[in-house]
Amino acid sequence: MDKARFELEKAVLGKKLPSNMYMFKEMGTPNAHLLIGARTNAKNVYTLQIMLNDFPSSVPMVYTTKPLKDRSGRNLKVSHELHNYGTADGKTCICHYPDESWSPRVSLYKVYIKCRLWLECYEIYLRTGQSIDTLINEINRQGGTSTH
Amino acid sequence: MKCIYIDKDEVLAYLNSKDRHIEGRSYEWEGEDVVHIHTAAQPHAFGCVAPAHWHKSSLPTKISTPGQYHIIITSDTEVKAYYVKDDLRLEECDVNFIPSREEMYSRSKGILEVDILSNKRVMIIGLGSFGSQIAIELAKAGVGEFALFDFDRVELHNLARHTCTIKDLGRLKTNAIKDAVIGKNKIAKVDLFPINITIHEDLMDEQVEKADLIICATDNNASRFYLTQCLLKHNKVALFGRAVTRAEGGDVFRYRPGGPCYNCLVGSRAHAMATEEITNRSQLPAYVSEEDAHAMIQVGLSSDIEPVCNLMVKLALVELSRGKKSGIESLETELDYDYYIWANRRERRHAVWAPFNNAKNQPTILKWYGARISKDENCPSCSAHAILDLGEELNTSPLENNYEGIVLDTEY
Repeated sequence: MDKARFELEKAVLGKKLPSNMYMFKEMGTPNAHLLIGARTNAKNVYTLQIMLNDFPSSVPMVYTTKPLKDRSGRNLKVSHELHNYGTADGKTCICHYPDESWSPRVSLYKVYIKCRLWLECYEIYLRTGQSIDTLINEINRQGGTSTH
Repeated sequence: MKCIYIDKDEVLAYLNSKDRHIEGRSYEWEGEDVVHIHTAAQPHAFGCVAPAHWHKSSLPTKISTPGQYHIIITSDTEVKAYYVKDDLRLEECDVNFIPSREEMYSRSKGILEVDILSNKRVMIIGLGSFGSQIAIELAKAGVGEFALFDFDRVELHNLARHTCTIKDLGRLKTNAIKDAVIGKNKIAKVDLFPINITIHEDLMDEQVEKADLIICATDNNASRFYLTQCLLKHNKVALFGRAVTRAEGGDVFRYRPGGPCYNCLVGSRAHAMATEEITNRSQLPAYVSEEDAHAMIQVGLSSDIEPVCNLMVKLALVELSRGKKSGIESLETELDYDYYIWANRRERRHAVWAPFNNAKNQPTILKWYGARISKDENCPSCSAHAILDLGEELNTSPLENNYEGIVLDTEY
């Protein structure tokens, strides 16, 4: 991410979110990332790690800093039904955006909102067993937008 | 009579050297009586190999080994070749010259300015079915320098549409295409980069700066977006080409400094996010099953991607010859669109196009259509007034904005 884009992203986040909710880390290294907090409607708090190494050229990988569990209490495994790339090294990689509709104009804030929606779907899955895929398709039908 | 081919440039180099005798190599297509003779071993050469002895003015007094060749050079036009038979008798061969570069491209004179092209450097990113063909076509036209980028190897699934053959299976595409380029333009300078461009920022920067033209023939938007940043930085012209699902059609985008960039295109109506052709497993999400992957990998025919390659080559030659007197200069003013669209079949995106045999004034298959793309005044890549997509179209009302008490987990 070049300097101008970095400043733009910072400005957007500064306007939309309290400053204690996010921090950029290891910028200028291959491990550059944004740590950002998310509190779901059910008041559960997650920390998301948004990797910035190829951002904004490609969809950034997003991890939860703690492993997410399935309904049986096991770490989430790679799954289309549950829209995730699996759990490794204590983190779950969530699938929040389809590659084919990615554009470099998508802000980190939008990535964050998509992840918030994903987390809401995840918690509904935990409560009801409905798959994240079904829930996201439902959101897409209602909102008419492309949410992965 | 055996038919010998000798490289004229090698003859001249030998004549100008102090060596009286050198041992080179012959490569014979067995059973065809066709033999290529060189002053040194050739990389990746095929055929039965035997020593070939080069002499100035006369044969040696004693010849004792059958199955070898002796070449007598008295001047650049007086060359004789002999094959030593099993009984040590000499069989004179028919000598033909592989011409020098000037001679090779003399037939293009008047159409292409070979001298201009020989000094041009073209960077090609992606050596799949598009990039490989384009590289070879540009070599045929006389382009003198190439920078070839691809980290893949030639695999079985590539062969149906690729210029590489079964003999190249397993090889790095960069190496295989270099051989093909040299096979058409023997003095071309070819630099190889078997790397992923998105993780070698400095190298990309350096190579984009050195190139006269960049051709992006990759199969994903991430590399196109990434390249766009380098193009903007160095003010370079680039061509982007691709096929859409099962090569039902394709498109070509030309970036010229100051004009709309690839990101402007993606945001435009003309581009419409047509589904990219998926040609191999690595383009699919990690969670796709083998069965689904099989259904999703949709490869078109070689003849369907040919028109797209062809236009990219034409545009490349126009850009490389721009402003110079040549037989194609009229194309400079005619091929001035930013974006070109082609359909092979009336499917999916092109289903509403008119049938070829009753198109009247409607768009139809097997024809190029050009479009001008507006520069996006708020493009995050090329505009000074960038506006980011904040996802306002997402219905965020179900999300409660309760940020109190959030403590970031930094122990990860």
